[in-house]
Amino acid sequence: MTATSDRMPTTKAASRDTVARYWSASRLEPYALVMPAMVILAVFFAGPALYNIALSFQELSLFELGREGKWIGFDNFAEVLTDPATGHALFNTTLPLTIVTVVARLALGLGLALLLNASVFRRWKLGWLVRSLILIPWVTPPVVAVAAWKWLLDARYGVVNQLLVGMGLLEQGIPFLARTSTVWGAIETMLVWRELPFVVITFLAALQSIPSDLKEAARVDGATNFQIHTRIVLPLLRPVTAVIAMLTTIWTFNNFVYVWLATRGGPGDYTQVLATQMYVTSFVDYRMGAGAAIGVVMSMIMFVFALVYFFVVFRDKEGAR
Amino acid sequence: MSEPVGTSAPARIARDVVTVVAGVALLLVIAFPFLWVIIISFRPDSEIFTRTFQLITTFTTENYTQLLSDSPFPTYLRNSFFVCTIATLVAVVIALITAYGFSRYRRFRLRPILLVLVICTQLFPFVILITPLYAMFFSVGLINNSLSLVLSYIAINLPFAIYLLLGYLDTIPIDLDEAARIDGASTLEIIFKVILPVAWPGVVTVAVYAFVSAWDEFLFALTLMTSEENKTVPVGLASFFGEYTTQWNLVMTASVISTLPTLLLFMLLQKKLVSDLTAGSVKQ
Repeated sequence: MTATSDRMPTTKAASRDTVARYWSASRLEPYALVMPAMVILAVFFAGPALYNIALSFQELSLFELGREGKWIGFDNFAEVLTDPATGHALFNTTLPLTIVTVVARLALGLGLALLLNASVFRRWKLGWLVRSLILIPWVTPPVVAVAAWKWLLDARYGVVNQLLVGMGLLEQGIPFLARTSTVWGAIETMLVWRELPFVVITFLAALQSIPSDLKEAARVDGATNFQIHTRIVLPLLRPVTAVIAMLTTIWTFNNFVYVWLATRGGPGDYTQVLATQMYVTSFVDYRMGAGAAIGVVMSMIMFVFALVYFFVVFRDKEGAR
Repeated sequence: MSEPVGTSAPARIARDVVTVVAGVALLLVIAFPFLWVIIISFRPDSEIFTRTFQLITTFTTENYTQLLSDSPFPTYLRNSFFVCTIATLVAVVIALITAYGFSRYRRFRLRPILLVLVICTQLFPFVILITPLYAMFFSVGLINNSLSLVLSYIAINLPFAIYLLLGYLDTIPIDLDEAARIDGASTLEIIFKVILPVAWPGVVTVAVYAFVSAWDEFLFALTLMTSEENKTVPVGLASFFGEYTTQWNLVMTASVISTLPTLLLFMLLQKKLVSDLTAGSVKQ
């Protein structure tokens, strides 16, 4: 900046000097403005991501941190990928943790949004009540959600078991989180409960952005309520459904907190998922290299998901034209 | 107006009532677990395990006094407020400056690629970085130092904050900046004296979002803050319901207090927050 203006002959018109200075300053200014954020993102995303890859090729214990580990090539990956525990965790992460809860959230979320979008809630000015109640799980921190559900599902004193026993459906309460037949259902309930509001309010926002003329026109043409929903509303919700599905998939696939707090991956290793497996490997077994390798495997799977995400969004945009 | 032709008024009212009753009943079922937590938190320890279904038993605030005077929970609260407030303030200031750069300078060479990177980091699974970040913070001696958590929370929140504020700033006419620039204001003065007052609603949304996601965060706090006096609320609360002993009345009381900040923020700003936070997915 100074270099440019210094070279300017001082005898020339001062206005040109100002313009030149302003021009070069404004060329650098955007970089100066975005620099702090970019440095932070580089240090906390790019840096660790690259270091994670380096770590995954080393044997390094938590106690040896600060030193360079022993470079062992693909040994960590060979071990992680041939370990049956990884396959088990991958299966758990994909099906019971992610697919089941994403599908449940989409179905329940859409159903609830369609119900709450009924014009009567607006006509009777109940919007505030609907929003307040639906937001309650969402404002509950995940840790609190797990605490609340652990208590509700308690084998002896929990409301759920007391209800079931009281109605004569059970002889005695079920320890939901300690049995393999019920543990996933219990974790999925906690997760869906806490994360459902996001899906409901996003669907609600999308429903409210559909122009009412469209529905009116169809009604005038003699369409039934059911036809209006299947032929007009649902097709218009396709893009937002795709976005919700992909976002919730990515968030859930990497989720650590629900499984960890509900079961620590138990009973035994029955509910271990990739995120908890990674944590245990790095911070309980102190094997940072192997933990990093699980992280690399997870990022590669997520990378494919992200590609699908952009593909879906892109295709929908093309289709809309 | 939007009613099917030929529906009689009583039938319509009946249908409205059924819809509202069904909707509110469902919402109450959904809200129940947390409402139950609140109820239990006011119950004496001795009555928690009996009379499950009695809504009102003996009302007491002894759980709250016990938690706040005779447990490490106040320390957790202080730690969480400290870390989350600083992280939120810094993240919002940096995000505002960055969003201004992206919004007002549309042609600088690296803009497209930097913008794509910001959007991609939003989807980046931060969880995966816990192992390398621990190693990095360890090597600079920041384990058990609040700074590591503050920095992590700033980084986690920046991408979404920049993205949301960029959308806001784009709607603010550039004439405002130009008028201020003619008056001799510097860029930072323009951002904080001209843009900030106008972009205030967007800044509040971003701040609330950043604070809440830091407040809720568990894994980083668990890994980077290992000593008792450094624990944040989520990790501290989780240690209350360990595998062996659980004092449910204290867990429930701590749960209510842990939820209060987010509950208050969302209740105050619910309508606006909901529309701002869902806009990204709906706009597509």
